[in-house]
Amino acid sequence: MINPEHDAQVVTRIVQQDFPLWMSVTFYLAAFISTAIFFYGCFIQVRKYKRGQPFSLTHIKKGIVDMIKDLLSHRTLRRRDRSAGLMHALIFFSFVLLFIGTVTITLDYDILRPITGRMIFWYGEFYLWFSFVLDIAGLAFAIGLLYMMYRRKWMALPKLNYARSDRTQEEPDYDRSWYRFEDWLFLWNLVIIMITGYVLEADRLVWLQDDPTVWDYRWWSPVGTLFAEAMKSMYLTSEGAESFRYFLWWFHALTAFLFVSLLPFTKAKHIFTALVSLVVRNHRSPARLPITDVTAESIGVRSITDFNWKQLLHTDACTKCGRCHEACPANASGFPLSPRDMILSLRELSNNTLQKIKIPEAPLLNVVGDGVNQIRPETLWSCRTCGACQEICPVGIEHVPMMVDIRRALIEEGEMDPAVQTALQNLQKKGNSIGENKRKRAAWTKKLDFDIKDARKEPVDLLWFVGDYASLDPRYQKVCQSFARILRTSGVDFGILFESEMSAGNDVRRVGEEGLFEYLAENNIETLADCDFNRIVTTDPHSFNTLKNEYSELGGNYDVLHATQLVRQMLTDSQIPLARTLSKRVTYHDSCHLGRLNKEYDAPREVLGSIGVEIVEMPRNRDNAFCCGAGGGRIWTPDPIEIEKPSEIRMKEAASIEGIEAFVVNCPKCMNMFEDAVKSTGSDDKLKVIEIIELVENCLVDEVQPL
Amino acid sequence: MNKIMVIAEHRLGELTAATFEVIAAAVGLKRTKKFSVNVAVLASNPAEFSTKLNIAGVDEIIEVQIQENQFQTDTYEAIINSLLDEYAPSVVLTSNSIDAWSCMPTIAAKRQCGFATDVFALNYDGDDLIATRAAYGEKMHVDLEFPGKETVLITLRGNTYKPIEQEDSVPVSSFSAPSVNARTTHKRFIEPETTSDVDIAQAELLLSIGRGIEDEDNIEQFEELADTMGFTLGCSRPIADNGWLPKSRQVGQSGKIVVACNTYLAFGISGSVQHMAGMKHVPNIIAVNTDAEASIFTIAKYGVVADMFEIADELINHFE
Amino acid sequence: MKILVPVKQVAIIDEDCEIRDDGKNVDVDFLDYEINEWDNYSWELALNLQETYGENVEIVPLTVGPSEAEDVLLNCLAKGGKRGIRVWDDALVDSDSFAIAQVIAKVAEHENADYVLTGTLSSDYSFAATGMCVAGLLNWAHAAVVSKVDITPDAQQITVNRELEAGIEEEITVESPAVLSIQLGINEPRYASLRGIKQAKAKPIEVMSHKDFGLTDAEVGEMGSLSKVRKMYAPELSQAELIEGTVAEQAKRIAEIVKELKGGA
Repeated sequence: MINPEHDAQVVTRIVQQDFPLWMSVTFYLAAFISTAIFFYGCFIQVRKYKRGQPFSLTHIKKGIVDMIKDLLSHRTLRRRDRSAGLMHALIFFSFVLLFIGTVTITLDYDILRPITGRMIFWYGEFYLWFSFVLDIAGLAFAIGLLYMMYRRKWMALPKLNYARSDRTQEEPDYDRSWYRFEDWLFLWNLVIIMITGYVLEADRLVWLQDDPTVWDYRWWSPVGTLFAEAMKSMYLTSEGAESFRYFLWWFHALTAFLFVSLLPFTKAKHIFTALVSLVVRNHRSPARLPITDVTAESIGVRSITDFNWKQLLHTDACTKCGRCHEACPANASGFPLSPRDMILSLRELSNNTLQKIKIPEAPLLNVVGDGVNQIRPETLWSCRTCGACQEICPVGIEHVPMMVDIRRALIEEGEMDPAVQTALQNLQKKGNSIGENKRKRAAWTKKLDFDIKDARKEPVDLLWFVGDYASLDPRYQKVCQSFARILRTSGVDFGILFESEMSAGNDVRRVGEEGLFEYLAENNIETLADCDFNRIVTTDPHSFNTLKNEYSELGGNYDVLHATQLVRQMLTDSQIPLARTLSKRVTYHDSCHLGRLNKEYDAPREVLGSIGVEIVEMPRNRDNAFCCGAGGGRIWTPDPIEIEKPSEIRMKEAASIEGIEAFVVNCPKCMNMFEDAVKSTGSDDKLKVIEIIELVENCLVDEVQPL
Repeated sequence: MNKIMVIAEHRLGELTAATFEVIAAAVGLKRTKKFSVNVAVLASNPAEFSTKLNIAGVDEIIEVQIQENQFQTDTYEAIINSLLDEYAPSVVLTSNSIDAWSCMPTIAAKRQCGFATDVFALNYDGDDLIATRAAYGEKMHVDLEFPGKETVLITLRGNTYKPIEQEDSVPVSSFSAPSVNARTTHKRFIEPETTSDVDIAQAELLLSIGRGIEDEDNIEQFEELADTMGFTLGCSRPIADNGWLPKSRQVGQSGKIVVACNTYLAFGISGSVQHMAGMKHVPNIIAVNTDAEASIFTIAKYGVVADMFEIADELINHFE
Repeated sequence: MKILVPVKQVAIIDEDCEIRDDGKNVDVDFLDYEINEWDNYSWELALNLQETYGENVEIVPLTVGPSEAEDVLLNCLAKGGKRGIRVWDDALVDSDSFAIAQVIAKVAEHENADYVLTGTLSSDYSFAATGMCVAGLLNWAHAAVVSKVDITPDAQQITVNRELEAGIEEEITVESPAVLSIQLGINEPRYASLRGIKQAKAKPIEVMSHKDFGLTDAEVGEMGSLSKVRKMYAPELSQAELIEGTVAEQAKRIAEIVKELKGGA
C-alpha cells in the first residue's frame, strides 16, 4: 500500500511539525502541569478513601477477572437498557483505542525516538492502519456521545430525572444543577476534543495537500479527509490552513488537558472508580451481609469515616445513571428513599469533609441528620432490602450493606419506628416478631390428621424449618398444612422443631439489630446441633436466605433447600404421587429472597410447569421482579395511608395481564402483603393469591377442589 | 355485731357510680352473716352526699368533715385509720378506683391488716372471708383468705355488683377528723380535650369493622349501628391504613390493645395474628363473617357465619 | 438525688397450663417471664432524669426475685444506670405486695433514696399496691398512677399529675422524699438492644437477702403477707358457640346476648 517511490519511513505524521522550540517546551510544560494536577487529584481521592476504615480484600484475582469480563462484555450496562449499553460500549472501546493510540505515539515519538534516534514503528503500513482504525474509532466515539446527548436531553428518561424524593424543593441540597452542569460539561468536553481532533486532522491535510507522502494516503483517514474535502470546497487553501493550524492545535491540546486535569474531580473519574468498584464488589451481598463484632466498642456507621475505604470508593463510582432509583420499590411508592440519592449524599458528604487537608470535627461528619448531604432516618427505614438497586448497578455499588451499617448505629441509639421496636421486643421475649406465645408456634400442626415427627427427639432425613410468619399467620398456616401433606404423601422422613424454633433472624439482621440476630441464630444453631438430620428445607425464603448464607459464620453449616427446590427434585424423581395436573394460566411472582438474592428463578417455574400450570410472566420478572414491600422490617411497620404500596403497584402489574386466574407466590410475607393488595386494588374478582405449594397439593388429590 | 365499713367516694361534687355498687356488695354480705353496714363519707360538706346514701340495708352514715373536698392521701389515710380504731370493722370496702389505690395500700401496710384489691366476689367459709380476684391477666382466678386478720381492706372491681334501687332513711352520725399533715396539695383538675377521637382502649363495648366493609361509604352504616347500640367504633388495620377511620380506632398489635373491652363485636374481620393480639383477651367476642374458616372464630365466644351487612340491617332494629 | 426503681419480673402463662400440686399457683414449668411493662416507664423516667441532671442523679434498679430475675435488671442496665440490686431468699417465695414492699422499703432506707418510682401495677397480679405499701412503711408522701412528673434534684416539693378516671387528670404537689407509682404512656421507653444487654452484664449487681436488712422470715413470704392464696383455678371457658338460623334469627340472638352483657354482672 505504500507507493514504492515513497520512503515508508517518511509516511508518518510529524508530531509538532514546524513548532518553534518555545512552543514545544510550552506544550510539554502544559502536559506536565496537567498530569501533575491529575495526579494531585488522584492523591486527594485516595487520601479520602484511606480516611475510612481499613478493609482487607479477599478474592482479588477473581475480582479482577470478573471486572474484565464485565468490562469487555459490557454486561452490566447492557442489562435492561440495551441501547445505552451499546452506545457506552462504542464510547468506551473507541476511547480505549484512542487512548492506546496516544500512548503509542508518545512511546515511539517521545521515548524511543530520542533514545534510538529514529521512529521504531510508527510509520509506513503500521501508521496507515493506525490512522484508519483511530479515525473509525473517533467516529464511533462521536456516534456514542451524540446518542448520549440525545438520550439525556430528549428521551426524558425517568431514571435521569434528578428530582429527589428525600428532600423538598425549598431545601438547599434539593438543587441538582451542578450535577446537570457537570454531566453536560463532560459530554461537551469529549465532543469538542473529538471535533477539534477531526478539524485539526483535516486542517493538516489541507495544509500539506502538496506533500504526496501525506495527501496520497489521505483516505486512510477517511473522516478527516471528508472534513478536508469540505474545507477545500469552501476555498480553504494550504496557506489558510496553515494559519489556522496553531490555533486549532492548541485548542485541541488544551481541551484534552482540561479533560485530563479535571478527571479526578468530575464524573470522568468513574473511569477508575468504577473499574476498582467492580473489582472489589462482593457478589454475595445483600444475600449475605458482612458480620460484625457485636462486642466492639461501637457498632454501625455514625460518622462518614466509619465506612471502610471500599464503601467510600463505591460512592465515588456512581455515575448517576439512575438505574437503582428506577428499580427501587420504596421510591416507586413515594417513600423518601432513592438509593441513588443516598449514595450521592454520602459521596457529597465525604467529598466535603474528607477531601479537605484536615478532617473537620465530629458532628460535621455525621451521616444521619437533617443537614445538607445527611441522610434522614425515614430514608433509611423506607428500605426493603430487596437488593434491586445493587442488582442493577452497573458499577457494583453495594447500597444495602451500607444502609444496614447506618441502621445498626440507629438501632443502638434506640432510633427506630415504634412498630419495629415492638417487633424486636417480641423477638427478644418470644422468639417471633408477632408476639405469640412460643408454645403456639406449632399450633398449625394440630389441624393435620397425622403427627409430624419431632426433630428434636428423633432423627429425620429432612428438617423443616418453618419460620415465624409461616407458623403464625392464619392464611399461610394453610400452606404449611399443604406442604406437610405433600411430604407425608410422598413418604418423606421429615420433622420440625416445634416450639424450640425461633425466628431465623433474617429481617432482624437487615433492620440492624446484630445482637438480636446473633442471639436468635445461636439459639437455633444450638437446637439444631442436638438434632440428627441431613438437610434443611423451608417454605420461607427469608429463613432460607439466612440459614443458607449467614449462619455459617456463626458455626451453622447446613445443606439448605427452599421448598420449591425440594419439590422440583422430588417431581423429577417421581417421588410425589400426582393424581392429576392442573391446567391453569397464572402469573408468578419471584420473591426477593429466593429470586434476586439467591438467584433461584427456575425451580419454581419448573415445578409449575410439571403440574400443568402455564405462567404468563409479568413485565418485571426474575432478577427484575418488583418487591412486595415486606422486607427490611417493613412487614412490621404500617405504611402511610396516602401512598400506593409496593404490593399494590405489583398487583396492578399482574392484573393488567389478560386471561390469568391466579397470582402465585412462594413466600409467607409476599402472601401476607398480596392478600391485602388483591383486595385493596379491587383485583380479587379476577385473581386469587395462591402459594405454589398449594397448587402442588391440589394435584395430589383426585377430587376437584376449588382453589 | 360485725361491721362492714364502706368508704364512699366522690369526685367533682358527685358520688361515684362505683360507690353504689360497693354499698350493694356490702348489703349483700348481710345475707351471709349478721353485719351492720356503715358508710363513711369524707367531704367538706358531707350532708349533701348523705342524702344520696339513704339506701335500704345501710345501717349508718358517718359524716366526716374535711377542709378540702377533693381526695388527699394523708387526709383519707388518717381519717380511715381513726375510723378503724373507733369502729373496728371486720371488712372495709371501697371501689377499685385510682383514689383507693392511692391510700388503701398505705393504710393496710401501716396497720398490717388483711388486704386485697380488684376483688369481684366475696364469700364466707364459716368465719373466714374469701375474696376472689383474677391473676395472669384474667386467665386464672384466685381465692384469697386472711387468717388471723381482724380487719380486711378490700377494693371491689367495678361493673360487678348491681346498685340497690330501694331507699330507706338511714341514721347519720358525725365523726371528727384528726389533724392531718397533708404532704400533697391539690392544684387543679385538668379536663380532657373534647376531640372527636375517642380512646378505644378505654371502651368496654367495641364494635369493630374489617376488610369485609369493602368500601369507605359502607362505614356510615356501622357508625350508626355502633352509636345506636352504645358501642364504640373500632376497626382492623386495613381500614385505618386506607384512611377510612383514624388510626386511633385501630385495634391490634400496631393499633390499640383494647384492655378495657369486655364485649367485642367483630364485623367482617377475618382475624389476622396482629389484630387478634389486640383483642383476643376480651371475654365476650361475637364475630360475624361470611368465611366459616376465618381465624377470628377460633377465639370468639359466639360466631355468626353470615353477611355482615344483612346482620347489621336486622340488628339495628333491636336497639333504640 | 438518688432514685430507687423497683422493677419486677412478671410471669405469663398460656392456655394449656397446669396448677401446681399445692393448688396455689401455676406450675413453674408453664411460666414464661418478662419485665413488667409498667416498669419500663418508671425506669425510662429515671433515665430521663439522669440524662437531664447528669452526675447529680443516681438511679438504681432493684428487683426482688431469684437469679432468673436478673434479666430484668440487665434490661434496665442495658439502657442506663451503673449498678443494680437484687434481693432474694427462699423465704420470699409467695410474697404478696406488702411482703415485697417490706423489702423495698428497707432497701430504700439502706440506699438513702430520695424517691422510689414503681409501676402502677404489675401485669401478673395487678394488685396495684406495692408502691403505696412502700410509702406506708417509709411514711413518705406518695401519689399513685402518675402520668406526668416534674422533679428537680434537691427540690423540697415536686409537681405531678395523677391520671384519674374518665380522662381527667389532677395536678398536685408532693413533698419529697416521695413514692410515686408511674402509669403507662408517661414517656416512650427506649429499646434495649441485645448488644446493650450483653454489655450490661459487666455492670455490678449486688445480691442480698432480706435478712441483711433485719427482716425475719416471718415478715416476708406467705407468712408476712396480708393475704394468702387458698386456691388458684382456671375459670370456666366456653367454646365459640355458632349461632345458626336465618339472618333475622341470628341478629335477634346477637341483640339478646349484647343486652345481657350490657346489663352488668
